[in-house]
Amino acid sequence: MSSFNSLMDGFASALTLSNLGFGLLGTFLGTLVGVLPGIGPALAIALLLPITYTVSPASALIMFAAIYYGAMYGGSTTSILLNTPGESGSVMTALEGNKMARQGRAGAALATAAIGSFIAGTIATAILAFTAPSIADLAIKVGAADYVALMLLAFTTVSSLLGSSQIRGFIALSVGLVLGLVGADLQSGLARLTFGNMSAVEGIETVPVIVAIFALGEALYIASRFKKVGWNILPMKGKALMTRDDVKRSWKPWLRGTAIGFPLGVIPAGGSEVPTFLSYAVEKNLTKHPEEFGHGAIEGVAGPEAANNANAAGALVPLLALGLPTSATAAVILVAFQTYQIQPGPTLFLTDGALVWTLIASLFIGNTLLLILNLPLVRLWVQLLKVPRPYLFAGIVTFALLGSYALNTSTFDVQVAIAIGIVGFLFRRYGMPITPLILGLILGPNLELQFRRALQISAGDYGTLVASPLSKVIYLALLIVIIGPLVWNFKKKLAIKK
Amino acid sequence: MKLPQGAKSELTFVGSLFALGLLVFWDTARSEPPAFNLTVSPKVFPYAIALFLMGLCAVLFIRILRGDVATPEGLNPGDPIEKSDYKTFSIVLASLFAYLLLIERAGFIVAAFVTFFGITVAFDNKKPARAAILGSIFVLVIYISFTRFLNVALPAGILEGIL
Repeated sequence: MSSFNSLMDGFASALTLSNLGFGLLGTFLGTLVGVLPGIGPALAIALLLPITYTVSPASALIMFAAIYYGAMYGGSTTSILLNTPGESGSVMTALEGNKMARQGRAGAALATAAIGSFIAGTIATAILAFTAPSIADLAIKVGAADYVALMLLAFTTVSSLLGSSQIRGFIALSVGLVLGLVGADLQSGLARLTFGNMSAVEGIETVPVIVAIFALGEALYIASRFKKVGWNILPMKGKALMTRDDVKRSWKPWLRGTAIGFPLGVIPAGGSEVPTFLSYAVEKNLTKHPEEFGHGAIEGVAGPEAANNANAAGALVPLLALGLPTSATAAVILVAFQTYQIQPGPTLFLTDGALVWTLIASLFIGNTLLLILNLPLVRLWVQLLKVPRPYLFAGIVTFALLGSYALNTSTFDVQVAIAIGIVGFLFRRYGMPITPLILGLILGPNLELQFRRALQISAGDYGTLVASPLSKVIYLALLIVIIGPLVWNFKKKLAIKK
Repeated sequence: MKLPQGAKSELTFVGSLFALGLLVFWDTARSEPPAFNLTVSPKVFPYAIALFLMGLCAVLFIRILRGDVATPEGLNPGDPIEKSDYKTFSIVLASLFAYLLLIERAGFIVAAFVTFFGITVAFDNKKPARAAILGSIFVLVIYISFTRFLNVALPAGILEGIL
């Protein structure tokens, strides 16, 4: 059966009345949580996961896709009106978008962000629909040793590209790997780092770690620091509409943003920071209005927003085809799949084909619902920004603790959440990035599994790790990622000395 | 040698991460894997991760001594680091622990209310009555929508039978 027919079947199962209802609810909740300042898509999805625990898989997927797009859209609203990007992918949007809002052009900025996200999301999902199955076909031939190489590459790029300091990224990764070690070893049953605690034998759950490191960590950090600093909400005049000139200036950046965002999502390039930055740089170079950049250029919102959304859809390719998350948001999606008993990876299209196509159809539907629902409702979301900070944090923390407890109704998960909340506070205080920790926790056990599998097949010969052509290419790329920044810094230092 | 601002506390933090590496190393060394022959012992990864973490911490330790001090999130490199507000921080942290202690003993509504109220008051203690009223409404709405509509079990605790 061709991809197209499968996709149509996906639409058929996603487009029931009750599923559309879940989709609408998901869009609403996703935007509601995403629009809250300081909450990026990864946290928004993690916070809303408990809602989908008891819904059927197909309904849960469509609701989930809607939450996902809603949270992304909500994030850009906060960046434009409040200048507080909830995640690294919205930093560029905040740069020009907030300036536009200051000039009273918030409506146009929000519209170009929404429409750009819609277009990028739709194109990228279409590419995903038609490439993921063939990538999955190829991926079946990817051996255990290649997986080891791929994961090492993902670790390295995420640790060294995020944040300001490579070594701090790697330390964050190692702490995540340590967390991933906790529990009984799958192969030998050896209890590692449990210190006699029975609950710890089953390992550390990912959901409490994610909500805690973002939500509790942030609340503790803000409590220790910026108590008196208030927010400056910019008023939104008029409707979220674009003039003919705005559209004329936006459509090319939308398409270019999509072209930059998607491929950089497919390869593990460290999340949405690089593509949005690249898109911004490209638009700045190509624009006919260079004088507006830095003062509210619409291209600077249109491009990065499209790149951000296309990047998120691109990240679904390695996630669905290889089971490999390459960003915090993708990691949360992986966890969500696992709670629905779906294990992403090359065999997913064979074992759960119908469900995958339902998901892809849901992504199209969620994206469309969002555009229909959000542009008219933008004033409601703006009102949400006025929730006073004490209530905002109290609500987020209560929700995060609820999610940690409700997962297994166990206080051990709450203990873990509080401990990780403190870690999240310390990481923020000492400039360590969060995403590497999450990837370490999720992928660490997986890396060990594939490493052992590779060595079992080769009967203990370590040469197997670099035997295949694919692994050779990946290790070469790895070398470049590690040495590149070092050479770059060295050159910079030399230049400064001169 | 004069250390830059914030260096001392960061050295403590990196030192404790080094200690975490030592803990992993020690726990691995004392553990006894089952006797049957495995190609890769379950001790290999813990050892590797422990050594990796300790090595990185050692390098960062030296770098901090040389002046590479971390930039706290939300600040620009070189910004003065203001002193932490430990009072607000402690109230928020205590509110988190209150939830842990109360969730199974007193139930979700009481636990979540105490946490909500504690955090609101920590950030802004001018209007406690308003925080209490809004907090109870928020917690009740969440409890009812999760238990009645989403079938997620939350402990009723001491309010069992009333709601």
